[in-house]
Amino acid sequence: MAAATAAGLATNVFPFRDARAAPDPVLEAGPVAHGSLPVPLVLDNGSFQARAGWACPGPDPGPEPRLQFRAVCARGRGGARGGAGPQVGNALGSLEPLRWMLRSPFDRNVPVNLELQELLLDYSFQHLGVSSQGCVDHPIVLTEAVCTPLYSRQMMSELLFECYGIPKVAYGIDSLFSFYHNNPKNMISSGLIISSGYQCTHILPILEGRLDARNCKRINLGGSQAAGYLQRLLQLKYPGHLAAITLSRMEEILHEHSYIAEDYVEELQKWRCPDYYENNVHKMQLPFSSKLLGSTLTSEEKQERRQQQLRRLQELNARRREEKLQLDQERLDRLLYVQELLEDGQMDQFHKALIELNMDSPEELQSYIQKLSAAVEQAKQKILQAEVSLEVDVVDSKPETPDLEQLEPSLEDVENINDFEPLFSEETPEVEKPVATVQPVFNLAAYHQLFVGTERIRAPEIIFQPSLIGEEQAGIAETLQYILDRYPKDVQELLVQNVLLTGGNMMYPGMKVRIEKELLEMRPFQSSFQVQLAANPVLDAWYGARDWALDHLDNEDVWITRKDYEEKGGGYLREHCASNVYVPIRLPKQASRSAEAQASGKGSGASGGGAGEQA
Amino acid sequence: MCVGISMDGVSENKMVPSDFSTGPMEKAAKPLPFKDPNFVHSGHGGAVAGKKNRTWKNLKQILASERALPWQLNDPNYFSIDAPPSFKPAKKYSDVSGLLANYTDPQSKLRFSTIEEFSYIRRLPSDVVTGYLALRKATSIVP
Repeated sequence: MAAATAAGLATNVFPFRDARAAPDPVLEAGPVAHGSLPVPLVLDNGSFQARAGWACPGPDPGPEPRLQFRAVCARGRGGARGGAGPQVGNALGSLEPLRWMLRSPFDRNVPVNLELQELLLDYSFQHLGVSSQGCVDHPIVLTEAVCTPLYSRQMMSELLFECYGIPKVAYGIDSLFSFYHNNPKNMISSGLIISSGYQCTHILPILEGRLDARNCKRINLGGSQAAGYLQRLLQLKYPGHLAAITLSRMEEILHEHSYIAEDYVEELQKWRCPDYYENNVHKMQLPFSSKLLGSTLTSEEKQERRQQQLRRLQELNARRREEKLQLDQERLDRLLYVQELLEDGQMDQFHKALIELNMDSPEELQSYIQKLSAAVEQAKQKILQAEVSLEVDVVDSKPETPDLEQLEPSLEDVENINDFEPLFSEETPEVEKPVATVQPVFNLAAYHQLFVGTERIRAPEIIFQPSLIGEEQAGIAETLQYILDRYPKDVQELLVQNVLLTGGNMMYPGMKVRIEKELLEMRPFQSSFQVQLAANPVLDAWYGARDWALDHLDNEDVWITRKDYEEKGGGYLREHCASNVYVPIRLPKQASRSAEAQASGKGSGASGGGAGEQA
Repeated sequence: MCVGISMDGVSENKMVPSDFSTGPMEKAAKPLPFKDPNFVHSGHGGAVAGKKNRTWKNLKQILASERALPWQLNDPNYFSIDAPPSFKPAKKYSDVSGLLANYTDPQSKLRFSTIEEFSYIRRLPSDVVTGYLALRKATSIVP
């Protein structure tokens, strides 16, 4: 066993990368932005990351979005000194020192704080090189949440139209853009999207190229909940490293060291076996910190402290003994005086005094006097001895202790000193050990390692079993079954032939296999299904939005223009293949409380409801 | 009724600076850092002088006011999209190691699967115990 551990000591040890983001350069828009038609800006507004770029027409669509940054901002260190304003995204560098000052415009997956959203948009426009004066003169494609609240869309439209003065905007759902990007024929076909992001996981059925919004479901768990869970697990396991277990490091563990088990229970059984554990545990190496668990004193300092405590105790004991001695002495004198009264023959006074002293006969008085004088003698002797022992070195005081212990119990009413004595006798033998004791062999490296074993599969598992963190919602598998059961059998068959997994939280190794296994369990015997992982789960939404923008540049009735916004209010949405369903409820604006509710037959009938009824 | 008023208040707050196309308005006491001003800022969100500093609504408040809108039965909206609660009984896993837990410690209500875990649990300080229970949302309601 020792040989095995010696051989396996250095395996599976991983350092934390603790990557810092490099600040984005301010890009020149270049010829891209200047065409005959203004070039659309595509912005994938995600709660984890915002991705922005140009949708440039032409033969080569271009590579990744120009900007990808975390959707957070924070005031720079040093408080509001009035120098630099709030920093956004990649300009922050490392997120950890500012963790408590980070603010995001998102609450779950909906932007609620439009001021911060404005900061993010400023950052995007500035770094993309938007150069038009007075307004942003490009159409914008923006992603929004599935069935986003009307209020949120109203505020977003207001921000875009009134603050930035954009000509037209199109809202879409990121998972739908990804769906169409992965298979262009999806514009007209049906399928099922399982999209898992930072804050929530959606299951979206698509019928005939159009979202069936009534049957979508959202589980409020995503990457951030997994990171939080992992952080708490490790902090509870290693309370000494509380500060070193940061969310950024947790995200690193999730991205690089976690996987989804194909069969969770079976995988746990494998982890029970110590050999499997040894081979598969990932030991995350924390950077060295000089603060060890427990005291910060060296052993010499500990000795010093102990000696001081001993000295203090001894002094205290000596003082108490002297006081006691004095009291006893006084009492003895009084008793002797009473005895003299007897001898002198003053019987009345003697008897009175006896009653005062609570005694019945002269013999009792005599015996009491004898006992007390003996005690006084002993106390005097002990004081002498204690003084002697104080001069002797503390290390050699051990021979003294047996005498002290013998004498002590004879005194009846000395509770406090008795309490001290066990401590005293306990302390001295320890002091006996030489100061230069051999410290236990301390593997400093191992102390600073976090052993990530079953946590590798536990943290990502919460989207399949939300009960792991106490959530009452059903996991992906059960929700999938619930949705499929709402359709007739032939539509179910159609939907499972085209399942797409998209979103950053889907990138765990083993995710596809797990979903396939879950489908196998819930589908009828010997039926088929097809599961596909998006080509690039993180960026496909942006690519899809860009392709959509290029396809629909000329199509006027998918863009919401400024005129539409002014006439029909902020909650207005023009539907297209990748958009939400528009429910024409008018939100009141300004002083006019015109909250008209139009007949919903017009709204939902014209949209996905029609597609649903066809099946 | 309250819905309308609160909406009014917030939207009023933002609509008041009415002319937006007259060029950039500077934020209070901070020069614009852009070389060529390409967009305008309006002082919405509560920083406008004279208005009460209204904070942004969070999602719960937005959803509460959305519920009051006249939805029809089958309209999809943010809260109707929520996944239903699970019907299957939850499996019990050990709090310490994550393995299947067959046993629960009556003293601390933590779940464990092996004897070593049990002795580990019994030696835990109380804050760690509460931490594990809070992770599972199993903390007891103190009367």
